[in-house]
Formats: sequence, structure tokens, C-alpha cells
Amino acid sequence: MGETIVMALNGINLTINEGDFTAIVGPSGSGKSTLMNILGCLDVVSSGTYTLNNIPIQNYDEDTLAEIRNKQIGFVFQQFNLLPNFSALENVIIPMTYARVPKKIREKKAAELLAQVGLADRIYHKPTELSGGQQQRVSIARALANDPHILLADEPTGALDQKTGQEVLALLSSLNKQGKTVIIITHDMNVARYAKRIVTLRDGVIESDTEAGEVHD
Amino acid sequence: MIKEYFSIAWRSVVAHKIRALLTTLGVVIGVASVILLLSLGNSAKAEAANQIRSIGSNLVFVSVNDSQGVLPSIWLDELKSSGQMAAVSELIQGSTSYQVNGTDVAVSVSGVNQNYGYISNLSLSSGRFLSSVDIDNNLAVVVVGSKIPNQLFPGVDPIGQTMVIKGVPFKVIGVNKARGTTFSGDMDMMVYIPLDYAGSIFTNFGGQRTFYIASNSEKTVDTTINKVTNYLKATMPSETLYRVFSQSQILSVMNTLMSLLTTLLAGIASISLLVGGIGIMNIMLVTVRERTREIGVRKALGAKRSQILFQFLIEAVIITMLGGIIGLIISYIGASIIQYFSSFKVTIGLDSVILSLVFSITIGIVFGIYPANKASTLEPVEALRYE
Repeated sequence: MGETIVMALNGINLTINEGDFTAIVGPSGSGKSTLMNILGCLDVVSSGTYTLNNIPIQNYDEDTLAEIRNKQIGFVFQQFNLLPNFSALENVIIPMTYARVPKKIREKKAAELLAQVGLADRIYHKPTELSGGQQQRVSIARALANDPHILLADEPTGALDQKTGQEVLALLSSLNKQGKTVIIITHDMNVARYAKRIVTLRDGVIESDTEAGEVHD
Repeated sequence: MIKEYFSIAWRSVVAHKIRALLTTLGVVIGVASVILLLSLGNSAKAEAANQIRSIGSNLVFVSVNDSQGVLPSIWLDELKSSGQMAAVSELIQGSTSYQVNGTDVAVSVSGVNQNYGYISNLSLSSGRFLSSVDIDNNLAVVVVGSKIPNQLFPGVDPIGQTMVIKGVPFKVIGVNKARGTTFSGDMDMMVYIPLDYAGSIFTNFGGQRTFYIASNSEKTVDTTINKVTNYLKATMPSETLYRVFSQSQILSVMNTLMSLLTTLLAGIASISLLVGGIGIMNIMLVTVRERTREIGVRKALGAKRSQILFQFLIEAVIITMLGGIIGLIISYIGASIIQYFSSFKVTIGLDSVILSLVFSITIGIVFGIYPANKASTLEPVEALRYE
């Protein structure tokens, strides 16, 4: 009996340019989570290459990967993943702490970011005192803390009702207009439509790769 | 960064107050008992040394079993005349009792000669000690301990009163100053009568005799011991029939015993520290598991391995340090209670404070490192997926 090796992704060739707003769609088991983990430097490819900013990622040790995640990538999770004992402000401060930003600066910046996502009056609230939409906006502010180039959002509207989901997507869209490269991973085509480019995965391979305009009409 | 680790760890401890407290209970008990036992041991040692010093470090004790009656009655006087001995006295001990408000009160009776006051550093609050006249004429006189006059002769001058010992009336000629309790019992419930009188009242000793010798100084104690030993070797039929030892020998034996006891008790107490440490490790492992997702999030946000490791290690250290501090406070309270209910003085020194902190921090590090390492090596992807 041998082990069955499952290739989560197989023969994928994908280039995402700076400033893109890309949605990666696919049903569960399509490999989109694996792709997200690789793009987010949470995991490394077992074969092939992943190049970020022209630098191949696979040879880095864990600490360097941590530094790349810290400075270049902002994560937005489906379940927000805010730390429950910490206020909105403190949650936004966390990535800056790991980047050793001085205390005064990081507090000021965190407050500014929370104001930018419309939560200026909620900075001392704990996650449980915030609505789902507000929590997701805190997590977006947190993702922006170290001015990353890339925002990686994993089902960012999955835990939200339709209206707040749209607000969050609008926020991501406006961030993209300000120059951030935004990547959304979702199974929901309605969410994907907000992106300029939609990459569809199925069984570990790219099924289609279309500009949004083509889908919209 | 260290400051942040502390603040993060502190937040987590505060968020689970009861758990942290229960976790650290083993450390609390361990530290409290180690410190209390060490302090008690040291205080007991100091107390013993102090008492012995107050009696006199130049004392030599001789214990002889002379059932065959071979020891000449004036042997010590012979030895004394050869120098280096300031004073000698035989000691015959017995006990009697009297009634106060219908209850029996025990009194120990020592038959001694006029030199015993000097030998034992006795000082009197009133009257005088036994004199050579009392001894030579075998007069029925008694010097009483400081607690006795109030019980027997309340409100009167005890000097000149009569105290009955084993049916024999004795005239009180002196009252000792209060001396407290020593190894030989409550010194303030002791009375001293002439040696021969004691010999005639308390008879059943089977030839067992006890002598006290005050050597000229602490330095001549060994010479005195040698001299007495040589004499007894020549006189007594067997070496098993006598023992000669000094106050300082007793002190060193006591010290050894005390140290042994202290070490033993401290050893038992440190087992509770060990158990406490295992408790910490257990809870930290649970904490790491519970907070797997938090670890995943922190890693996704850019935490390095070492940063996660420190966060959890410091959390363990904070918990054990708290335990150490609480244990220290409890040992202070314990010491005050002991001091309140006994005359025993227990001092907790700075060394104990430092010891407890070092102990508790070490336990935090030793037992916190494994869970913290486990947290730091979690794969971010796995950790984020953890529900």
C-alpha cells in the first residue's frame, strides 16, 4: 500500500501584477485555499516556483517568510481572526509590534487606519462589542498596518450579510484604486464580480482566467 | 519588544485569573513552605546557639555511671586544683509538684553546690544563691525560678517563705531572673537546693551521676575534656561508663541535626515545587492548544518563531512569579502567626526573598519552555485552520 499523493494544485501558471484586483474562485477542493496559502507565504510550493517581487520564495526560512508576511502582505480572513481580549486599536497595532515600529507611531497609525475604515469612534471597543461588518473593517485596518503591497482576502464576506458584505467589498475596491494589489479568494461569483480579473480553479488547475468586463455583461 | 511580551502575557493571565491562580497554587505552596521551613530552621539554629551562649560556651558536661561506687567523692576537686577549671558542681535532678487552684504544677528540682550559679550564668532578681555554708551544712534552703513566687506566695516577699519539696520544708533564699524555656525545659519553673539534700530526697539513679564543669575559658575546654577523660579512663572499669562532652559539641550536633531536618523538610517542600511546575506545564500546554488559532493569526501577521516562544515563556514565568510572590507573602503571614503563638522568633531574610523569586522564575522557564516551543513551531497554515 502506498500513500496517495494529492496534488492540490497542478501545473498552475499565474501572474498577478501590481495594482491588480483579482478574484480566485472555485468550489471547495479546487485548490484555492492552497493557492492562497502559497501566495500569502503561509506555505511553500512542493515543486515549481513562486516569485514575489521578482524574488523566488521557496528557499526562505520560516523567519524570513514571517517578515515577508509582516511587511508585504495584509491578510483579511473570513472569521476576521481578531484577538478577543484586545481592543480594535490593539488588534491593528499587532503587525506593527512585530515590525518593531515605535510605540507612539504605531498607536497614531492604528488610529488613523481605523478612521480610514470608518471606525474612528470604535477604536477602544473589543471585537465582541463590534458588529460583523465592523470587525471585518478592523481586520482590514490591521491588514494595512505595515503598508503592504498586497491584500489577501480569504472569503472576506463569508461571515457577513449581503449589505455589509458589499460595504466590505467596496472598501477593498477603493483600496485597490489607491494602489493596493487585492486578491480575493471566494467560492461566490457575486463576490468575484467586484474584481477586475477572475481566475477560476477546478481540481487544481486553472479553468478560466477572464477580465471582469467579460463576465459582467 | 520585551515590554510588549510582558503586557501581552499579563493580559492573558488577567483574562484567566482563576486559572492562573489555580495553576500557580503548587508554586505558592512550594515557595511558602520552602521559605518558612528554611527560616524556621535558621531561626531555630540561631536560637539554640544563643541559648547555649547564654549558658556559657566554656561548659563541659560529664555523665558517669558509677553503680560500683569507684569514683572518689572529691575527684573533681582534685582535678580542679590542677588548674584550668573555674568551677565544678555535681547535678542531681528530680521533680516535685504543688497545687495551684486545685491543679498540680510540676517543678524540676536541681541539687547543686554553690558553684552552679556561676557555671550556669544564673542571675537573681532578689535574695542570694546557695552559699558554701548552705552546702557544707546541708541546710534546707531553696533558690526558686521566677514564675514560682507568684504561684506559691502571691503578693508577699518570697524571701524567707517556706516551700515544701517532697514533704520537706525549704526556706526560700533567692529568686532567679526570668530565663525562658531552653532545651532543659522551663527554666523559670526550676528550683535549686543543696546537692546532698537532693541526694537524700531523690535516690533512685542507679549510680548515674552528672557533673558540670566551667572551664576557665572557651579555649581551655578541650584541655579540660582531655584531663577529665584521662582521669575517668584511669578510674572507671570501662569506657562505656562515662561520657565527657562540651557545650560546643552539643551545639554542633544540634546544628547538624537541625540542618538535616531543614534540608529534609525543604526537600519535601521542593517536591511540591516540582509538582507545581508540572501543573504549569500542563496548563501551558492546554493554553497553547486553546490558542492555536491566535498563534496562527500572529504568525500570519508576521510573528517569528522566537517571538511566539517568548510570548508563551513569559506568560509561564509571570504565572510562576506571581506564585512566588504570593508564596512569599504567605510565608510572612505564617512566620508572624508562629511568632505570635510561640516565643520563637522567625525572621525571613532578604536571601529568602531572592531565593523565592529565583525559584519561581526558574520553574517558569524550565516548565514553560516545552509548551512555548510547541507553540512556536506550529505551522501557520495548520494553526489558522484549527477550530
